[in-house]
Amino acid sequence: MKTTFISTSALSAATRQSLMKVQQELADAQKEALTERFADVGMQLGYRTGQSISLRQDHTRLKTMIETNSTVSSRLKTTQATLQNLVDTGQDFSKQLLALRMGGSNALGAQTDATSRLDGFLDIMNMSFGSGYLFAGVNSDVKPLTDYFATPPSTSKQSVDNAFFAQFGFSQSDPAVSTISAADMETFLDTTFADVFEDPSWSANWSSASSDNMRSRISNSELIETSTNANESPFRKLAMAYTMVADLGTSDLGQPAYEALVDKAITVVNEAIQQIGDQQSKLGVAEQRVSDASDRMSLQIDILTTQITSLEGVDPNEAATRVNQLLTQIETSYALTARIMGLSILNYL
Amino acid sequence: MSLSTSLNTAISSLATTAEQTSVLSRNVARAGDTTASRKNAEVVTIPGYGVRLASVTRVVNTALFNNVLVSTSTAAGQDAIVASLEKLQQSLSDPELDASPAAMLQKLSDAIQRLSAAPDSLATAQSAVAAGRDMARTLNEATSLVQKVRAEADADIAGSVDTLNTLLSRFESVNAEIVKGTRTGADVTDYEDQRDQIIMQISEEVGVKTITRSDNSMAIYTDSGVTLFDTTPRTISFQQTGSYAAGTTGNAVYADGVPITGPSATMSVGSGRIAGLAEVRDNIAVTYQSQLDEIARGLITAFSESDQSAVPSLADATGLFTWSGSPAVPPAGTIVAGLAGQISINALVDPDQGGDATLLRDGGINGAAYLYNTEGTAAFSDRINDQLDKLNGTQSFDATTKLSSSATLFGLASASAGWLSETRTSANEEAEYRYTLLDRSSEALNKVTGINLDEEMTLMLELERTYQASSKLISTVNQMLDTLLAAAG
Repeated sequence: MKTTFISTSALSAATRQSLMKVQQELADAQKEALTERFADVGMQLGYRTGQSISLRQDHTRLKTMIETNSTVSSRLKTTQATLQNLVDTGQDFSKQLLALRMGGSNALGAQTDATSRLDGFLDIMNMSFGSGYLFAGVNSDVKPLTDYFATPPSTSKQSVDNAFFAQFGFSQSDPAVSTISAADMETFLDTTFADVFEDPSWSANWSSASSDNMRSRISNSELIETSTNANESPFRKLAMAYTMVADLGTSDLGQPAYEALVDKAITVVNEAIQQIGDQQSKLGVAEQRVSDASDRMSLQIDILTTQITSLEGVDPNEAATRVNQLLTQIETSYALTARIMGLSILNYL
Repeated sequence: MSLSTSLNTAISSLATTAEQTSVLSRNVARAGDTTASRKNAEVVTIPGYGVRLASVTRVVNTALFNNVLVSTSTAAGQDAIVASLEKLQQSLSDPELDASPAAMLQKLSDAIQRLSAAPDSLATAQSAVAAGRDMARTLNEATSLVQKVRAEADADIAGSVDTLNTLLSRFESVNAEIVKGTRTGADVTDYEDQRDQIIMQISEEVGVKTITRSDNSMAIYTDSGVTLFDTTPRTISFQQTGSYAAGTTGNAVYADGVPITGPSATMSVGSGRIAGLAEVRDNIAVTYQSQLDEIARGLITAFSESDQSAVPSLADATGLFTWSGSPAVPPAGTIVAGLAGQISINALVDPDQGGDATLLRDGGINGAAYLYNTEGTAAFSDRINDQLDKLNGTQSFDATTKLSSSATLFGLASASAGWLSETRTSANEEAEYRYTLLDRSSEALNKVTGINLDEEMTLMLELERTYQASSKLISTVNQMLDTLLAAAG
């Protein structure tokens, strides 16, 4: 009766099988040591693969949002700079008008100056940004303000001419303008002329801009207005002030009417400057919100990166140690196999 | 007692030793064969005659052998599942590569987000449509992959059934030899080894139970109790399905006219390659297809347009993504089989097909009633944000996905990836465990029934000595007879 027995093939198969398993582990460990990630992430994580994928989803979403936010904030910055420019030129204009209030030969200078300023103002308002116009609201593919000095005469120029003629019965270039009294001029400026810059005349003759501002999603939950448009009150006022001095026959006006005109223009410009300040602060708040949102999302990205690494990552030191250990194991196994193969009774018979 | 009796005894010893040596050399020859069992020559003493080889027996251990059979079939079944899951995993690849449906969904959402920041940019709108096209293509490809895996499993079942039929007919002839040999008292041990080997191969295809009868014949049943062999082999039949689409149901495998796979089977097999392949074909791949279909349905719904009239009267209609039932939107919470294979980009939006990408911003793909951007402004972002909100919103999903029935589309897509990986991980762990078990039980069986060369060699020394001694005896008796004859002169 034999108490113990082992067959020869079982003896050699034992080392062979364990050797194959160890070699497979070695291949994985080498890859992990190199990439610092699991060799087969899906296999290792199981149901947590879903978690890993959704972390990566969040990661790319936040990155995209920061990217689009940078477009938004550069639009806001450009708008701010432009508004500042309008404020500066507006202040210049009002100073100049004060100096030229004397009339006479100064009136012509004032008119020429206002003409070039109106031109400059329209240029600025029609500035483009990216693929659209900065002050067009959501109607960004259409130039917001019509060119006043175009030939044939633009709708805006016509609306002013018509208003003037309706009030006084002659055109601006008529020598009769010198007969306009200060009171008549004031009435005209406050009523018929002011109406030109109000709807429906403004949107029909002057502006193609939309009163709806662009809205941007700056984070998962925040949807904010990130532009202004040419229909806002300060821009109408600036247009009105510049046109007033530039195209109401200013140089030919009698002194009282001229003074009334200049006084009105100064008031309107100052009002406009004040209101631009409101716009600036409104956009400034939006700018701040965009940069806050981006900062917050950058922080979240850092956290997500850490989470992804902790899910999928492998400690390279640990992997390297494992490689060494497996190599030792394989060497031992080789040595053992050789010894076992040498072990046969045939050598002694 | 006489000298001639001694001579006869010595001669019988020589003959028996020669036969023992032949058994020993058979053992040595098969020492490397792990399935070979050790043969023992049983020697009996016959009074007044000497020794004779009574029979050749082999070392068997039925308990260990049955263990090996069970582990073989479960390991083969799990192996089939793991191999198919590895193919399905291609649809996800590594999370880092961002190629899974979930990652493509995120890319689409990113493209729409970029569009919302620059609604007036045609290039951005076109790249959003391109992201949509990639999304649809990923779902289409995943669907054909899943259906390919099912078709391959089906073809493998057919192959498996062929193998099984061949093995059973070989089993019949070997079994007949054993019954015949047992009746005449011949040495049937080699046939028995062969029969064991065939059963082992059969157990790879399907889980089996065996019963040995008194005449040494053997009957085979599946692990669920359906007869595979009893005196004669039973026909295993299977009708292969050529091509698979979502919703195609594969045929069942029949043994002896009884279904052993599929939902109609009351005695379905629990292990073996056939069971594993049927599990892939009828359950795992079908569930994954349902998840893809629900992702597709969620997408179509999220991008659908609704009537923008003051008093809406028209039903919602499909937008960026269309399917065979367009313009109707598939009903909420109900699966549409094969939707992931049908989903495509609406030609009216696709610039490659002469469409206009800005419809993504304006709406109105289905006519003026659905136009969102009524004023035609270029930087209109309400519709874009509306689509983004719907994409991020919670939807209800069919229970066949085996995932949460109420989730966001992103949640569903990543949960689907998680489900597939988890199925793969657990199948792999199970397979590894089963293989270890198989290794151990094969090793245990081999340890007990296998051949040890050293033992055979020492046995050979014994036989050599016996042979030498018997020869010496013969020559001594010869001398004695010579002496006697010389004395008799």
